[in-house]
Amino acid sequence: MSMVDFGDWLYATPVSTAIRETSWIIPNLQSIHILAIAVLVGSALVTELRFAGVLAVDRPVGDVMRRFLPWMRWALLVLLLTGVVLVVAEPGRTLTNTVFLTKMALVAGASLVTLQARKSLLVASPVQEGETSPAEASKALAWLMLVVWCLVIFCGRFIAYV
Amino acid sequence: MIDQAILQQIYDLSLSASIRENVNAFPVIESLHVLAVALVFGTILIVDLRLVGFASYRGSAQRMVTELLPYTWVAFVLAVVTGALMFLSNAVAYANNTQFLLKLVAIAIAGLNMMWFHSTTYRRIAIWDEDMPPPAAARFAGVMSLILWTAVIFLGRWIGFTLDLFF
Repeated sequence: MSMVDFGDWLYATPVSTAIRETSWIIPNLQSIHILAIAVLVGSALVTELRFAGVLAVDRPVGDVMRRFLPWMRWALLVLLLTGVVLVVAEPGRTLTNTVFLTKMALVAGASLVTLQARKSLLVASPVQEGETSPAEASKALAWLMLVVWCLVIFCGRFIAYV
Repeated sequence: MIDQAILQQIYDLSLSASIRENVNAFPVIESLHVLAVALVFGTILIVDLRLVGFASYRGSAQRMVTELLPYTWVAFVLAVVTGALMFLSNAVAYANNTQFLLKLVAIAIAGLNMMWFHSTTYRRIAIWDEDMPPPAAARFAGVMSLILWTAVIFLGRWIGFTLDLFF
């Protein structure tokens, strides 16, 4: 079964049809999706700029991470749930769409780095109180992460246009 | 309301026409708008939650506000510029769209809420800077801001589903 066939099958299921035909569902799901993106990107901005040594440099990295990591986890969960329903509703627009697949790859990579790599980094080298200067590699990664989240937003909007 | 003839003149501007005619212009502007809105809401949310009484990454509310608000303002300017460009491209349709008009009202009230907070409770922030929970007026301003910006995002997304391009 190809992705196109799967998309066609999904599109024809009663669930998919019901979501599409209830006119208020998709706009409200997309609104919640954007709210969750805002939570994620706002949290990412502060934590990554902390890693980059730009923002809140007088605060330990660990304190900043502890404040925002739970919010990022919840935001990612909401994004996943609303995103799944949006895909179920309109599989043809997403599953075979290169922009959508690119977005998924970027989200997977960025989420992994956010939830795992950084956490282990914190566990491996617990930060002491007061001034801490993050490693250069971590700084570069921080800027890369901000670029990736921007790309995710661009891909997300461009799904509708390609 | 705004004169339809003026809206038509805005629609006829060469800038408006070029946004309509270039295939990639609108999606790029719209993506930048979403990015800007996400940064506005994301950073305001952090400040609002602190005002409501959630502990943040630093004790001082004032330091956090002065640290984050520049990012909010840069993002807000980007949102206004990209929003204005989208409006230009279809001025008549947007000006006659209920969700768009309500969104502007919500932004205006959010602005008034912010101005009220900054000219009253925020002036005395030295007194309550590290207090938990913050004073009732600060908590009220935070809750109002959260409700209004959430409404702005919902209304903004609904524009895309209700805009009548053949108005």
